[in-house]
Amino acid sequence: MNFEKLFALAKEKGIEDLQVYYVDDNQFDIEVFKNELEKYTIANTQKLSVKGIYDSKMGTVTTEVINEEVFDFLIDSVIASAKTIDSEDEVFIYAGDKEYKNVPGLFNESIYDVSAKQKIQDVLDLEKKVLEKDERIKMVQAFYSDGAVEVTIENSKGLKLSKKVNDGLIGVYVIASDGKDQRTGIDYIRSNDYADFDFETVAEEGAKRAVSLLGATACDSGQYEILLSKEASASLLTPHVGMFSAESVQKDISLLKGKVGQLIANTNITVIDDPFMKKSAKSGSFDDEGVATTYKELVKDGVLTGFMHNLKTAKKDHTKSTGNGFIGRGIAPTNLYIKPGDLSYDDAVKSMKKGLIITELAGTHSGTDPISGDFSLQASGFLVEDGAVVRPVALITVAGNYLQVLKDVKAVCNDLKFNFGYIGSPSLLIHSLMVSGK
Amino acid sequence: MLDKVLITKILQQALSTNADFAEVFIEDKFQTNASLLASKIQQVNNSKVFGIGVRVARGYQSVYGYTNSPKETDLLKLANDLAQSFPGEKQGITVELKELQVANVHKIKYLPSEVSIDEKVALLRRADVAAREYSDEINQVSANYQDYVQNVWIANSEGTYVQDRRVRTRMSIAAIAANETSKQTGFDGPGGFYGFELFKEIMSVEDSAREAARIAIANLHAEECPSGKMPVIIDNGFGGVIFHEACGHSLEATSVAKGASVFSGKKGEIIASPLVTAIDDGTIPNAWGSAAFDDEGNPQIKRVLIKDGVLNSYMIDKLNAKRMNDLPTNSGRRESYRYEPTSRMTNTYIDNGTSTFDEIIAATEYGLYCKKMGGGSVNPASGDFNFSVGEGYMVRNGKIAEAVKGATLVGTGSQALLKVDMVGNNLLRAQGMCGSASGSIPTDVGQPTIRVSEMTVGGRKAAN
Repeated sequence: MNFEKLFALAKEKGIEDLQVYYVDDNQFDIEVFKNELEKYTIANTQKLSVKGIYDSKMGTVTTEVINEEVFDFLIDSVIASAKTIDSEDEVFIYAGDKEYKNVPGLFNESIYDVSAKQKIQDVLDLEKKVLEKDERIKMVQAFYSDGAVEVTIENSKGLKLSKKVNDGLIGVYVIASDGKDQRTGIDYIRSNDYADFDFETVAEEGAKRAVSLLGATACDSGQYEILLSKEASASLLTPHVGMFSAESVQKDISLLKGKVGQLIANTNITVIDDPFMKKSAKSGSFDDEGVATTYKELVKDGVLTGFMHNLKTAKKDHTKSTGNGFIGRGIAPTNLYIKPGDLSYDDAVKSMKKGLIITELAGTHSGTDPISGDFSLQASGFLVEDGAVVRPVALITVAGNYLQVLKDVKAVCNDLKFNFGYIGSPSLLIHSLMVSGK
Repeated sequence: MLDKVLITKILQQALSTNADFAEVFIEDKFQTNASLLASKIQQVNNSKVFGIGVRVARGYQSVYGYTNSPKETDLLKLANDLAQSFPGEKQGITVELKELQVANVHKIKYLPSEVSIDEKVALLRRADVAAREYSDEINQVSANYQDYVQNVWIANSEGTYVQDRRVRTRMSIAAIAANETSKQTGFDGPGGFYGFELFKEIMSVEDSAREAARIAIANLHAEECPSGKMPVIIDNGFGGVIFHEACGHSLEATSVAKGASVFSGKKGEIIASPLVTAIDDGTIPNAWGSAAFDDEGNPQIKRVLIKDGVLNSYMIDKLNAKRMNDLPTNSGRRESYRYEPTSRMTNTYIDNGTSTFDEIIAATEYGLYCKKMGGGSVNPASGDFNFSVGEGYMVRNGKIAEAVKGATLVGTGSQALLKVDMVGNNLLRAQGMCGSASGSIPTDVGQPTIRVSEMTVGGRKAAN
């Protein structure tokens, strides 16, 4: 798509600077159920987001109808939007950085060397593998998806950037039943290299998760030592990621405001945002504002080192953008995770005298309050006594404060895993949390 | 726009193999969003959405594709690619599109396109002022305005051809109250199948802003909620989210058809207390979750899901009906052309009973009164659910006592339904966005005040 005419029209109508963000997206999804193809989706879409500075305000518009006939509408919308905004924040169209890191391997053609037919067969086989694991497995949904995204940014200051990324996902959602109780388990692998898809491991893990929870009941209420599994920890971290955003700090809704240089977590905690991580569709050398992305340890050995910035918040704080400006999300991480430690998960379990392994937290979008850090969440997992799992536990709630949890981390395991939202964590051993059960 | 000739061609191309059903869904939507924070308008954005979804099926097996391209060559290629999933001889179905029209019960007075952006953002400023005037302890207000007009055309190989226009307007207001020790948020988000008349003539923005502020202040001065098992009174309006999440989703064919729901195969059986009658009604004039047609081109209807405690009907879309050997209930919905439709809720509520609110409180010796519910989620397989309580009070000796915060309700949908022991007479609906397989769609939740005889309450304070 040639945007020269759009830039010319913007200039003619009095827009100081204009930037286009164009994304071309290809998606492929399959899901199988009871040895049949349950879902098969192919898609190709384009979206154009335009922003422009008019009278020192930033107007925006988005469209999926992309042709020269909508150019007038786009420019008029940008102007109308800018005229309505009265926020006095300074706005920017970025001329670009001197250098953008070359990030190899973000697009891997190999995923398309495998035919759709083969992928369907692999997922059918995956479902079969899970069903063969245990007779109590009643139902499996096995899925595969891949997506490729091509992003182009161009602006009136001469910046031209583009990147192409892709990744794929295989996984299983498993329902197990013993006639009385029904439990679910999920496992998945994400990568842009088809060779990484270890179907056997996914089948094994997904099956184990559902079956091992069968017969789960509530435990007694009280304070328990907690082993927060890698999945549970990532799902608890996710709603709290906003506290690392400079925007949250400036709006005074971050728990970490004014705490740079202070110990905000146990010294065994390091939190990293890594835009250069291999095989992730979230990786790239620039953000949606065209700013070069940066690798950073937001928390190093428990000490808060800084926040994620976009152009606007960086200007306010007299600093540089960290390359975390993303359309529709304001400031967001790329691949954010808690750095893994040395302890193995099994050794963590063995170290517990009496405690709970929390493998799943439900409702983290509603049961957390990122402004106060307080949370109260439905949980399931296992009761541990003298270093061994005694029985599965469900229908309990765990409550606490997230910053307190980070301070109470006794040990960090070595089993880092990312969730669907590209937020990752290893399992964490926590001194104690309030558990409400029977 | 695509004409009937091209749509017919696409459908025929989709049926060029052994498929027995094809459908075209065309969407043209214009949306405006505006947001306010720190008493300033932060963002105003127009958005044009356009795309076409093509579905091809044999029996209950389907494949789906979508694109933004209105070009004939692209669309025929998409239909052809999809058709390859059903190799075999052509079934010889002829496509003859017949236009279906229904009486329009959702009248719109002021279309969003006829109202200036200045008038729209003025609502945000009024909300900001009203929330801040409510109390000195309100120190931040965030407000969003959204309206859209979604035009859809739905055609299928059975001859269905319908056109529908959905006009929706909503505001979301969050007020933050703070003192030295705590910071609490209150929220209100009214909306409807309306144009600008919703906030010009039907509802007061100020009332909504004050409600958000009131909740924030109540929470600011609330104590931590005790945990344990106790009777729980859930108030009318958004309290209906508990039914939506814990039972509604388990009554959708998406989970029922596969036998993945606790309610699979239980039609005609008692699944709730005899006091419970529950309804999903997509025809309520101008309600947030209403529309003339579902997203498979069938007229919206009213479904009685549970009648006096007995399971009466599921919510069923076209393909799941085939899987279940049942009739569709015209429940196929989707967020946009990017989603294949599936069975979803519209405006779902527990119907009125006979108790008054005062009677329910007076009859409760000790328990938790949830005046406002927050969000929640449910595992459709096990029926386990959890909800956060947005505003709660302890009830002692038949009277509403101190405010409590941080409570979570935990339970199992099927159990909670059976334990409903009082149902009020003050039915009220409230608006929400429901996320599921076919995307995020507008739905109303609703109920009168109800009491559940026993539920697990999770709080940060030990039981007392």
